[in-house]
Amino acid sequence: MDQLAATKKVFRHHIWLTLFLENIILGLSLYLTINYLNFQLYLDFVISGAVALVFITLVAFFLANYVIQPLSSIRQAILHLSPSGTEPIKSPDIKSLVVGQELVTNLIGQLYEIAKIGHQSAVADGTRSTLSQNFIANSLPLPLFILENNEEIKFVNKVAADYIGLKADDVIGKNVYMILDMSFPTEDTFDVWLKEVKQKTAISTKSWERVRLNVRDNHPTLLFDLAAYYNQGNSDGISTMLILFDHTKQYSQDDQAVSFVALSVHELRTPLTLLRGYIEVFEEELRGKVPQDIENFLDKMQAASEQLTAFVNNILNVARVDDDQLELKLLPEDWGTILFNAIEGLKLQAKVRGITLELNISPNLPKVGVDRLSIQEVVNNLVDNAIKYGNQSKTVKIATKLNGEGLVETTVEDFGVGIPSSVMPNLFTKFYRDHRNRAQIGGTGLGLYLSKAIITAHGGNIWVRSDEGKGSIFGFTLIPYDQLSKELRAEDNNQLIRSAHGWIKNHSYYRR
Amino acid sequence: MESEEHKIEVKKVRKVLCIEDEYFIGELYQRALTKAGYAFTVVADGVKALNEAQTDKYDIILLDLMIPNLTGIEILRALRDNKKTPHLKAKIIITTNLEQREDVKADIEKQADAYLVKADLTPKELVEFLNNVQ
Repeated sequence: MDQLAATKKVFRHHIWLTLFLENIILGLSLYLTINYLNFQLYLDFVISGAVALVFITLVAFFLANYVIQPLSSIRQAILHLSPSGTEPIKSPDIKSLVVGQELVTNLIGQLYEIAKIGHQSAVADGTRSTLSQNFIANSLPLPLFILENNEEIKFVNKVAADYIGLKADDVIGKNVYMILDMSFPTEDTFDVWLKEVKQKTAISTKSWERVRLNVRDNHPTLLFDLAAYYNQGNSDGISTMLILFDHTKQYSQDDQAVSFVALSVHELRTPLTLLRGYIEVFEEELRGKVPQDIENFLDKMQAASEQLTAFVNNILNVARVDDDQLELKLLPEDWGTILFNAIEGLKLQAKVRGITLELNISPNLPKVGVDRLSIQEVVNNLVDNAIKYGNQSKTVKIATKLNGEGLVETTVEDFGVGIPSSVMPNLFTKFYRDHRNRAQIGGTGLGLYLSKAIITAHGGNIWVRSDEGKGSIFGFTLIPYDQLSKELRAEDNNQLIRSAHGWIKNHSYYRR
Repeated sequence: MESEEHKIEVKKVRKVLCIEDEYFIGELYQRALTKAGYAFTVVADGVKALNEAQTDKYDIILLDLMIPNLTGIEILRALRDNKKTPHLKAKIIITTNLEQREDVKADIEKQADAYLVKADLTPKELVEFLNNVQ
């Protein structure tokens, strides 16, 4: 039944009742008064007047009480719903109503209903509740993220929540960079784009291919294309929309497709693994049981296999540098220990060529920020060169100390053929070698090129001084870890990823 | 007597499953590891290797990435899938000569307990490494 019509009907009913009762009382009192006036008795008049007055007052009082009761119930309900002060206000007692119980119940019911809607929207915020009920947003069969102007996630559809393996409630209200740990193939990342459009334009769209999403530990990376829409003045408070097109399967197949270099390296490494294994078996079984010259051959075999291993790794890393795929993880490391171990590993190679390696490590060196494997390759390359080109001398000197600029400087010095000044400028170029030595000494000219790339990526410098006929000294600097982390404003992170190469992290927020 | 008991406990034989299709490499690893007191099983086929690994009777799994029938990555994913293999006790150590892109490698490293390049270490060095894997 129409509630408004019902209300009107009840209301009319009570108005008529009230008017009817009032008329009866008025008529009765007039009748009594006139009767007494006929006796012309003043006292009687006064008495009858007083009685009539009291009677009318009493009746009016009770009537008024009944009439006002519904109104005060409604007032009580409004007070109950309003934000109260210190004392809690009770809800109205509708059952005690004599008049208009049905009407008041209806009205108060509606009041509570309105208050409930108001309360919901105040808590949930209008747009979100609209969005979460929005058919299109929810039934879009692609992961959808909607961001507010402050880059907080305002809405995710179920597909999106499932895609990243989280619940929508755990995502909404969080900063987008905390939830989506994305890496991009170029430096034009999502956050770079968003920053730019926020400054320059009102509406903009952009898409990216091959975005990678790091989900969690023990969970494979997701790969997708990303489309974004930005609208500055959106009245719904929506600033940015992100839609993800998943290509994890397809792109990870591409990732696993083996490049020519990787394939060659694999094919070189397998026999190399075997050779090193067999040499080790011979070492174990034959050392001390064969003539000295055979033992020397064993040493030489082992040195050669180590050299070949290093060279294969060089090829691989040069390919990485050329493809912008060299990614260094800079950790705080004790440089003396790394250098000592690297030199120990090179001693056999020096020994078979009759060269002694002299290592001098200054005490109290600060920790340096290095990628252990890569920096070992630099040491390998420089010492390997010194051994090759320093053949006339019997010593290669390696030293490390803190230099005047507060950097850790390492030098590798040989006393061999030296380098003519004319070729010095090209020394760190790929495939460049001193032409006069080419016939006598093997090598590809990859070592110095790679060393320079690795040192540069560490934030250091590499240099050379040489006297022809007297020898050469190669040096490189490394930055103490404390200084490096300050430079990169990432003191809280124990691992710095140099972004000059490889995949670009979306935002500094990626550290979780 | 007490100390003897103690010795027995320490010398508990650790079981290694080597998933490797290069026969000679398997042979070299077998020699070095059995010499060092490990129980050694080598499987050259991807599917068989996964079934064997899922029995969960190994302490260490050496996993090559390039093997027939299933890739090492597929095996790794299956072993890390809690629905198929809940709480695998074995440490999974990738032993490969294959080079990955840095990000792919990082993804594999995340799921495995270690990532080794076979050519970079001799069988003895592998034993030393495994001795430190707890």
